[in-house]
This record gives sequence, structure tokens and C-alpha cells, in this order.
Amino acid sequence: MHYAVGDRHQCCCVLPVMASPPPDPQFVLRGSGAAVNTLHFSCGTSDPPLLFSGSAKGTIHQWNLTTRRPERTLDGHSGASVIWLKTLGSRETLISQGRDSRVCTWDLAEGRSAVTDSIRTGSVGFCQCSLLETGLCSRLLAHPVETMDEVKVIDFPSGTAVCSLKPDARLGMVMCTKLWQPDSGRGPLLLVGYEAGTLALWDVAQRQPLSTLVAHSEPLLCLDFDPERLRGASGSAERAVCSWTLDGQQNLQMAVSVELVNPGISQLSLRADRKLLASAGWDHRVRLFGWKKLKPLAVLQYHTDSVLSVAFSDHADPRLRLMAAGSKDQRISIWSVYNEG
Amino acid sequence: MEGPDTEAEVRLEVNRHVRTLCTSGDAVEVIETLKLLTCYLCDGSNTEFSETLMKEFNRVHYTRILKFLTSNLQADWLQRLNASQHRELWDRFFLSGPPDQAMLVLMDCIGTLSQSSGQDKVVDVLELYLQAGRLAVLLWTRCQGSNSSESPQLREMLLGRLVSLPDITANHLHPHNRPLFLPDHYYPLLAREINCTLEKTCRALRGGQDCSLGFVAQLLGKTCIQGHSKLLFRELAPRLCSSTRSDMVWQRVCWRLMENVPERWMESVVVGLVQAVDGPDALSRIMGNLVVKNKKAQFVVTHKLLLLQYKCESRVLRSLLGYLARDRERRPLLAQVLRALCQAWSSSSAVKHTPLEQQLYLSRCLLLCVGLLDDRELEELRADLRQCMLGGIQCRLDSAVVRIRRIGMVVGECLSSRLDAGGAQLKFEYDHDEETRDLLSMMDPHVSEEAVPSEDTVPADRPANRPAEQKESARSPGRPGSPLSSSAEQDPAGDAGSGSELDSDDELAPYDMSADREMPTAAPPRYLRDCLEALMSSKDAARVELSLRAAEGLVRRNVSAAREVGVELSKVLVHLEDSYCIPDFLALRRGAMVALVVTDTVPVVEFLTTEFYAVNYSLRQRLDVLEVLALSAQELSQPITEQGRPPRGAQPTNAVIPLAQNAPPLHWRQVVEQRIQSKTRRFAKGAASPTVTAAPNRYAPLAGFFFFPLLRNYDRPQVTFDLMGSDHLVLGRLVHTLGLLTHLAVNAPVATQMGKALLDFVWAVRYHSDQVVRQGVLFAVCAVFLTMPAQHLLPELSDLVPETRAWLADMVEGDSDADCRSLAAQALALLERGLRASLEIPAEAPQA
Repeated sequence: MHYAVGDRHQCCCVLPVMASPPPDPQFVLRGSGAAVNTLHFSCGTSDPPLLFSGSAKGTIHQWNLTTRRPERTLDGHSGASVIWLKTLGSRETLISQGRDSRVCTWDLAEGRSAVTDSIRTGSVGFCQCSLLETGLCSRLLAHPVETMDEVKVIDFPSGTAVCSLKPDARLGMVMCTKLWQPDSGRGPLLLVGYEAGTLALWDVAQRQPLSTLVAHSEPLLCLDFDPERLRGASGSAERAVCSWTLDGQQNLQMAVSVELVNPGISQLSLRADRKLLASAGWDHRVRLFGWKKLKPLAVLQYHTDSVLSVAFSDHADPRLRLMAAGSKDQRISIWSVYNEG
Repeated sequence: MEGPDTEAEVRLEVNRHVRTLCTSGDAVEVIETLKLLTCYLCDGSNTEFSETLMKEFNRVHYTRILKFLTSNLQADWLQRLNASQHRELWDRFFLSGPPDQAMLVLMDCIGTLSQSSGQDKVVDVLELYLQAGRLAVLLWTRCQGSNSSESPQLREMLLGRLVSLPDITANHLHPHNRPLFLPDHYYPLLAREINCTLEKTCRALRGGQDCSLGFVAQLLGKTCIQGHSKLLFRELAPRLCSSTRSDMVWQRVCWRLMENVPERWMESVVVGLVQAVDGPDALSRIMGNLVVKNKKAQFVVTHKLLLLQYKCESRVLRSLLGYLARDRERRPLLAQVLRALCQAWSSSSAVKHTPLEQQLYLSRCLLLCVGLLDDRELEELRADLRQCMLGGIQCRLDSAVVRIRRIGMVVGECLSSRLDAGGAQLKFEYDHDEETRDLLSMMDPHVSEEAVPSEDTVPADRPANRPAEQKESARSPGRPGSPLSSSAEQDPAGDAGSGSELDSDDELAPYDMSADREMPTAAPPRYLRDCLEALMSSKDAARVELSLRAAEGLVRRNVSAAREVGVELSKVLVHLEDSYCIPDFLALRRGAMVALVVTDTVPVVEFLTTEFYAVNYSLRQRLDVLEVLALSAQELSQPITEQGRPPRGAQPTNAVIPLAQNAPPLHWRQVVEQRIQSKTRRFAKGAASPTVTAAPNRYAPLAGFFFFPLLRNYDRPQVTFDLMGSDHLVLGRLVHTLGLLTHLAVNAPVATQMGKALLDFVWAVRYHSDQVVRQGVLFAVCAVFLTMPAQHLLPELSDLVPETRAWLADMVEGDSDADCRSLAAQALALLERGLRASLEIPAEAPQA
């Protein structure tokens, strides 16, 4: 890594002024003590802005982004990797998914840090859950189950099973899910990426697959979707990020594909303003793309091991927006990029 | 008509009037007489006098009357005239009579009068004279051939006055000069009047009248020889171009005009014309076969402009050579030109001794010529061309200057593609730049022709707009690809527009992504011995690359390990070849070697300096050795500082060699320039430069290890390496490196010996034929002058001072390389300073 940095500086000297050198991280959070699997911002309205990170040794850290220090550590997954985090409504309820095949609900209000509820999923894989708020207090949670190739949608937090979705074809394990509500008023839809590289769109109400698309030839590792433009992007173990669209007949269609220098994308994350897509690469780098055409914008180098997670903050003021990248090298880098408008 | 009696009578009367004018002091009488005289002026209104009488009046009396008028500028009667009378009596005399006499009188007046209201009057009249187009009348009277009897002196005087009117007026009217008399206005006016006269001539010729263009041609010649050809032809050439386009009489008139230009002024006229005319066709219409008929013009066009000078732009060259190719009679000249160009281009001494710009110019001409000749003519010249190509390429490829080599390659490729259109062609590898593209474009002779038709559309009376419009119109048809490419660029944008999103990602400016490379798959070596092992024997590209990248760091971190394997690793690195196309290979290897030298100085330096002269190394490796030595000497010479105390004073190391190695010659040039700059600053500050505190450094005690072994074997040629023979580049770099090593040893006791040895060494090669060596020598001399303590300089140099000075002065004056000249000037200045300093020291000593 050392030489790569050196190279970069040399290139800067040679290049004309047109392209500025890529930015450095704004700051770095150290001390998670294990690989950082997942990140979740909570910066909405109340102060101070917080970042939750889930580590490979089962701990959840709550970082204060003003002081840049961990405020507390939650340990509820008995040492199994935490792979997904989400706050509910305010920041007082946190959901965490661990590889101990449990989804825990935490009560963090008034300094408490207790697991109030726990749902058993049965899955020991890496597939992250997906949560959709369908009403004021009703939510749907899609989670993988024991028989690896199946996704179960349950009502949250009651745990009542809504349906179980299993493809007829052999598509391999479920790798990633995304539950979303179309504007058209029909029932919620679920995007699932499978080990075979196939992407499937399920209608939760009908329990029917609407469309499938062979997006990659390697396992589909991550996806993110923009319900407004009906476009999504997916990454795999290949050297490419693909974007696809959903047409009026609910058919998935391939759109653009961007070639990468190194293979492997752990996570894709779309910024809330839908202008920027970030990818967490196995090659230690975070790549930024313009969302409209997947135009490569920047390659951010800081980490010394695979980047596992990337997330954008939900600041109300766009100028304060941050991006966080969590890596296997146990660090979380915080960046401030393309915040002008 | 009237009989001779009346004529005699009138003559007597005129005589009487003139006499009255000269003698009378009475204003009324003078005015009356003048009024009577005006009817003799030949402005057409009066028919009562016969032609002979008019001639007589013009010849005998007119000048006298004008003289009278100008000598009575302050007379009372003149002041009393009102405006219309003034116009009638005063202006009319100058504007209506024979224009040549009026011109001479007016110019005389301006020359003799000092500043006064009278002078203003004369100047007013002169301005009116020019504005009224009297110059055209003057020229036209000269064309009619009636003045054949006039004296050559008068003719010369008139020419002189006409041509130098701006000078005369400027000299005498200095602050009150009129804009019309300034060269910028006057010469274009003159050009317009000449054009008018030529037009009249054409008309007269069509009417069967004889005309003589002698005077106009002389005027043209004299104006050009006095250096106003640019102003003149800028106005005249476009008019001639458009007039001659379809009119054969006009063409004949132009040819006649050019042929009539006197021999001694021919050159400047031809040069001026060639530079002002756009396109071979136009030139051909204006000049005709002048080059065939006139030896002088032939010499200028085929020899002087091409071989002796190098000032013409490519456009001019195109029209010049195109002109030669245009006509059957001139075509042999083109072949002759090509032969001469070939000879010049293939001469190896020309490569060494002419400036690069001239070589480039010559190459351009050569390619243009080759492009213009057809296959049959080329067949006849094949032998010459082949000779030229091989000889020229050979001596250019031998040159140490990149641009010269590249010129050789481009021209070689072009010639070979023209000679062996079907067969095997030469092909070189070189990077294209502005210069090579320019050269390549010379092979296409048809570019400029497209510019010519656009002249039709430009009206001749809008000369100011011409150049810009022409350029534009020449550009747009010149690149047929541009509309295609632009539409191709628009296509994707159109696609996006048809999609649902109107906006694009353009609002987000991308960052520099050049550092996004592939990840290495293997881990870098952790121990120096692993690294050495991998570099020596590994066939795995990734492993070699990683080892090479890790080498410098490993050496610097593990000093003791590095000392154990220092020489061995150096050996491996010197022999390491870039078999895997590793990016920055040279920089990485150099970095590692420098680290080795710095860590394990004495053995590694000993090894490198010995290997420099050993057999079986490539020149590249030898150059690398030199560079590594220079860089490590530089690093070692950084002052050893205690914490918190920054180094001060004259450290020689601040400006040496940044690590940019992709283009060694450029890098070398930069170094030289930086050195000069640092020295210039130093010199400008003179003796008052900041106090010289010498800080201890690691290089001073070891300088000898670097320096003397490199000097040891230079004159022992080997089979593969002949420093004093053909390997100039290495010699140049060696001398330069030695200079650097000496300079870095400033303040060390050994510096005096080093300087002395270096001066002895460079003395033998100071007139080397390669400019790279000369630059190195001059740099080394500068370094010595800067390094050697002043009190030692004089004793060591005492025998050589006059010679050195003469040599440097000689270089400053006569070297063909601009860098050499400036370096020599610098060295000379340093020498003078050193001598002055060394003379001052003994003077101060007794006081101390």
C-alpha cells in the first residue's frame, strides 16, 4: 500500500490541473477491535450525530461523530458477527442482525442498552435482512432462513410470518435482499440476489416472482435500489458494477455496466439524494459513481484491507453529509465528498 | 490652331509674369499675376494653349513658380488670401501641375523649413497632395514613357523622396508629423497608388498604347530594399492576386513589373512578395517565370531562402516550392532544389554545427519537395534521395539530442514511404508531438491550395479582414474528419436526451483516478535476502515487481543486512532488466541503488565506479551508474543536522536532480537549467551573499571515492565502449556527473584536488563536436569555479587563465547551441568573479 500512495503523488505532479487528486478521509474511527461488517448512520434531527458499527466479533459500537469517540458498546450476539444494523424511527430502537441466526431489537432510550426482543431467523449466512415501513407501526422484515435458498417475510416486531418465497429454479443461496414499496399502490415488492448471479423481483402479496434477470456470472453480493427511478445496481465477485431498470411491465432489464480495475464488491450504497453510488471493494478502495450513468467519479484509497461496508449519512443539511466506509482492517473512515449541492 | 507667333507671344508673357513675381513686392500685383498664371496649369480646363506650350511651361516655369511660392511663405499677400483664394492660388499650383516637380519642391521645403506656420502650410499641401491621388498621377506620367530623356540623377532623387517620405517628414516635423506620413499609412497608400497605375497600364495596353514599367519597378525595388516590403506587399499582394486571377494582361503586367526590378533590389522584392502571397498559384501568376529568366531571383528562391536562411513559415515554403512545381519550365529547378536539399540534409557536419531550428526548416523543405515531385521525377532522383536518406538518418540517429533524432526518424520514414511505395519501408518508434506532426503534414502538398479559392470571395478592398477569413476557410475544409468526429461526440448526448433523464452526471466533477491500479496478488518480501533472491532468480512478474518496490525501503530499514549484501544487490540491480514492463521501473531501480550507495558507501561505490569502465555493459547501464552516483552523492551531502537547528549557508545541494526519469535528456536539461539558475542568483548577490557556514556532511570525507576512480580509465577504449570515440552521450554525462561530484564537495579539503583534476580532464574535450559534451564540459567548469576556494583558483589556473578566458569567449560568441552559449557566458562571469576574489584576498591579508 505504501508504494501506491507514493505513485499517486507522482502522478499528481505529472497530470495537468484538470483532475484534482482524490480527497483524504475527513477522520478515521479506530478501536472497533475487529473487522467492521456493517455501518448505520443516525444523524437525523437530534444531536449529536451517531454512527453505529457492527463488528466481526459480535459487538456493536455507537460512535459520536462530534467527539469522534465510541459512546457505548453493545454486545448481544454472543460473539457472532453482526452483519446488519438499523435504527427504528428515532434512534432509541436499534435492530441488529447477527450470524448467531438472531435479529435483536435494542432499547437504547435514556442510557439503557438492553435487548428487548429477539427473533430467530435460522440463517447463519451473510445475507442481510431488509426492513420496510408499511405503516406507522407496521413494518415488514425480509430475512433469509435456514434453508439457504429461501426468503421469509415477517411482520415486525410481532414476528408473524407473512410469506415465504422460494424460487422454482435452483438459484443457490440468497445473498442479498431489498424490500420496497412501489408508488403505484400495489403491495410491497422484494428484490433478491442469488448465488447464481441472478436477480429476482418478487411480489410479496402474490408470493410470485415477477421477473428474473441474470445480472452476473458470479454470486450477486450486494444491491441497492432507487424506487423513484426504478433503477438498481448490483455488485458481485466480478470486475463490474451493473445497473438495471424495471420497466412498466415489472420486467428487469440490464442497463449499464461499469468495468472495475479489481474484482469484488462487498456493498453498494446509494446516497439519499440519488446522485451518488458508492461501492465497497475487496481491493481496499471505495469507488464513487454518478448515479445517473454510473460515471466513475472517484477512487478513495485509505484502507489496507477489504472494505466491507459503505454508508451515507442521513443529515438534514446536505452540506454536512458524510460517507463512512468500514473495513476488515478494523477502521472506519469518514469522508466528505460531493457535498456542495 | 494658333500659329507660332501666338505661341511665342504667350511664351513672352509667361516669362514676364514670372519675372514680375520674382521682383515685385506689391501684394495686389502678385495676386493678379498668380491668377493669370493659373490658367497655364494643366488640369484640363484650358484648351487655349498648345501642347508644346504647356510642356514648355511645365519644364521651364513651373518649378520656378513653386519655388517662388514656397520662398514667400511669410509674405503679406499670402496672409491676406481668404480660404477660397488660398485654395485657388496656393493649393492649386501644387495639385495641378506636374506632380513630380511639385513633389520635389514640397519635400525640399519640408527639409529646409523650420517649424512655423509656413511649414504647416507646406505640410497641409503635401497631405492634400497624397490624398488627392497625385502619386498615381506621378507614377502614371512615368509609365507613359515620355520621360525617357530625363536625367538619372533626377530620377534617383525622385525615387529617394518617394520612398523615404516617412523618414524625411518624421525627421523634420517630429512632434507635428501627420498620421498619413507614418510608414503604416504611407506605404499602403503607395501600394494602392502602384496598383492604380498598373491598372491604368493594363487599360492602356489593351488600347494599344506603349507603357514603361521601369519607374514603378524601381520604386518597388527601392521601397523593399529599405525594409518596407512587408507593409507594401501586405496591401499590394492580395490586389495583385485577385486581379491576375483571370486577366492575362494583368499577369503580363505583373511579370513585366517583376522583370523590370533592378538587379540590386531584386532579392528584397522577391523575398517580400513570396512572404506576402498566399498559395503557389497566386505566386505563379504574379511572378511568372522570373526564376528562370533572372539569375538573382533564381538564387534567392532556390538557394538563399531554402538553404541559407531559415525564417520562412511553412505556409511560405509551401507556396514557394509549389510555385516551382507549377510550371514545366520551372520544374527542373525543383529537382535541382531537391538535390541541394538532400546534400545539405545528409551532411553530418551540418547536423553538428547548424542550429536545430535550421535543421527542422531544412527537413520541412525536403519533405515538401518530395511531396511535390511525381513518381517519374523521383525515379530519376532515386539515387540521390537514397544516399541522402541513409547518410542523413545515420548521422541524426547518432546525435545525442532527442529532437534531432526524431527529425531523422520522421524524415527517414517519409522519404522511404515515398521511395519504396510498394516495398519494405522504414519504420521507427517515436512519440508524436507538435513538431513531428508538422513535419508529417509537409508530405501532403495540397493543404494550402484549398486556401486559395477562398480569396475569390473576399473583396479586394477589404484587406484588413483577409487573413482571418482565410485562415478560417482554410481550416474548415482542411479537416474533413472534424464534422464526423463532432457528430460522433454529440451522439451519446443525443442518446441520453432520448432517455428519461435530462440531466447527466456532469455536475459532479470526477477526481483523478489514475492511481486506481490492479491489486498485487502476492505479498511483498519482508527480508532483504528474500528480495535479493526474487530479483535474481524469480520468473514471477508480480514477485519481481513487489521485490523491486520493496527494495529501497528494506535497504534503508535494515542497515546491517544491507551492508552484508550491498555489493551483491548492486550487481543484481545494475543488471536487472525491465522484462515485465514494471511501471516506474527505472525510478524504482534507481531508488534502490541510491539507497544501497548511501547505506554501504565505500564498497558499493568502488564496485560501481569499476563497473562503469568494465566490458559488456550497455550504454544505458553506464548512464544509470553515473546517475546513481550523482544522486547518492547528493543525498550524502545533505548536512548532518542536530535536532532543531536547520542548516544554513551555501549548501550546494538544494537544486540538484528531482526524480523524474521518464525522459532522461529533458531531465538533464532541467538539471542544467536549475544549476544555472541557482548560480545566477548566487552571482547576482555577489560577495554579499549570506554568510557561508559550511555544515558537516557525510559526502565530504568520501568524495574522493566517488570522483577519482571515475577519472581513471577514460582513455582506454574497449571493444564495446569507446568514451573518447563514438559514445559522446556517456562522455557528456560523465563530465557532467564529475562536475556535480566536485560541486557537492564544496568546502571539503579534497575539492581543490578534484577541481584541478577535472579541469585537466575537460581541457582535452573542450572543443568536442557534440553539444551534449560541450554542455557537460561547461557545466563542469562552472562547478569547478564555484567549488574551488578562490585563493586556490588563481595559482592552479595561472597558466590557463588567458586561454580559458579566450575559449569561453569563443564559445559565447560562436557556439551553435544556445545552451552552450549561455553556459559559457555564465562560466566566464564566474571566472571573472573568482579572479577578482582571489586578487582581493592578498590585499586584505596584511591588515588582518
